[in-house]
Amino acid sequence: MNKVITINLNGIAYQLEEDGYEALRAYLGSAAQRLEGNPDRAEIIADIEQSIGDKFRAMLGVNKTVVVTKEVRDVIADMGPVQDPSGLTDESVPGAQKAETAGAGGAAGAPPSPGEPPGTPKRLYKIRDGAMIGGVCNGIAAYLGIDVAIVRIAFGFMSFMWGTGVLLYILMMIIIPYATTSAEKAAATGIPSTAEEFIRRARAGYYGGMKTFTDKKAYREWKWQFKQDMRRHRREFRREMRQNAEHWGQRWHQYWGPAHPPGGSWFAAPFVGCMMAVVTLVCLLSFASLILTGAVFGIGLPAGVPLWAGLLFLFVFFRILKWPLAAMRHHAYYGHGYIGPFHYLWHSFAWVALLFVCLWFADHHSVAAHDALLRARHEAHNTVNVLRDWWSRQ
Amino acid sequence: MSINEKFTAIRKGLLEFLVLKIVAADKVYVADILGQLSGTEFATQEGTLYPLLSKMRREELVDYEWKESEAGPPRKYYQLTAKGREQLRETSDYWQKISGTVRSLGRDSGQTTNESAPR
Repeated sequence: MNKVITINLNGIAYQLEEDGYEALRAYLGSAAQRLEGNPDRAEIIADIEQSIGDKFRAMLGVNKTVVVTKEVRDVIADMGPVQDPSGLTDESVPGAQKAETAGAGGAAGAPPSPGEPPGTPKRLYKIRDGAMIGGVCNGIAAYLGIDVAIVRIAFGFMSFMWGTGVLLYILMMIIIPYATTSAEKAAATGIPSTAEEFIRRARAGYYGGMKTFTDKKAYREWKWQFKQDMRRHRREFRREMRQNAEHWGQRWHQYWGPAHPPGGSWFAAPFVGCMMAVVTLVCLLSFASLILTGAVFGIGLPAGVPLWAGLLFLFVFFRILKWPLAAMRHHAYYGHGYIGPFHYLWHSFAWVALLFVCLWFADHHSVAAHDALLRARHEAHNTVNVLRDWWSRQ
Repeated sequence: MSINEKFTAIRKGLLEFLVLKIVAADKVYVADILGQLSGTEFATQEGTLYPLLSKMRREELVDYEWKESEAGPPRKYYQLTAKGREQLRETSDYWQKISGTVRSLGRDSGQTTNESAPR
């Protein structure tokens, strides 16, 4: 996706991609510079602008309204560098040739090189938006510029090799910081935040431009142009901010608006909350039991697997177990619109049903799990008895 | 240095003469001029032609008028002025002389005068 800038060439509006716009501005800037002192400068520039406009129009149609960067560059190459005929005889020809080749591509005297803008340096961060566990994979994907799914698969694959992936993940989760501020988010994805990039470009352009002008009059004219540009940028930036603010205002109303008691959450949220509490409790219990007895509900660690791997496995297992519950709770609290209590109830039931299917599967296909379940029933029975005794003694 | 490069300056110098010739034949606009030159050794681009035409107009060799076009905004159509026609005649004569000299020089060893040139 590219930003599009609308320009006016001799009274007709054209939409250009941002880089193309920069290239065109550089070309016209260098043209104006070369025609310095030419009494017909304004007219020649107008002629050239019209000619460029004609070429753009030939490329556009009903289904194509934007001139892409490559097309702009092609048109500029087609136009050729602007040469002042009165200056031709004085200039030594090889020098003029050299200026031409420089002018055709980067446009001599145009401060920002339109080809490769030096991007902001990338840094590795955890990214929360769209994360499944801790945002580590998300951050790595953004850092390498590849799809998250690939990184996740890679981690999953590595987890099968003696749990390397899991260990790595947890280490990275501890070491790598979250991207919280907008500057950090920009560094994480490599896409510069608008304001920063704007300032950087302005600086590069401004100082670069100052160096190229020796003539006072041209410098003044350029400065005026620059100020115009700055003003326009500022206007655009403000408009963008305003639009964002409006957009977020709407979202804010959707999520936090006064009129919506989150539908059905009074019923579903406590239910989901209870389930999460149970899962957390079981998680803590199994941690304790693994550390103290070396076994969870009677299932001992397989021979050769160290204690830390077992703990890691438990941690990830419960994280995954809790994840849909957490999502459901979030939905119950922040979900917009009234869907009805049965919607959430259905979600909860579906989840419980899935859990039962898993348990049944384990019970029937694994002797150890079967034994553990039997024992767990006993344990639960015992616990309940102990609790009842304790209660009656009060 | 290739032949092409050696003659860069000469081609540039001759461009005005050729434009005079093209404009003399018919009322044309810039794309026509570029089209006629495009197949030749004198192929050029808008970046060169627009400044040249504006210089020639300032020297009152050519003049233009705006004409509506079927597609897009009106275009400038160029035509020769009386002064331009005069200039074209003088330049043509001078060109004849130069090319005569180029042809005759060195043809007969020792004989390097203009009288031996054909025509």
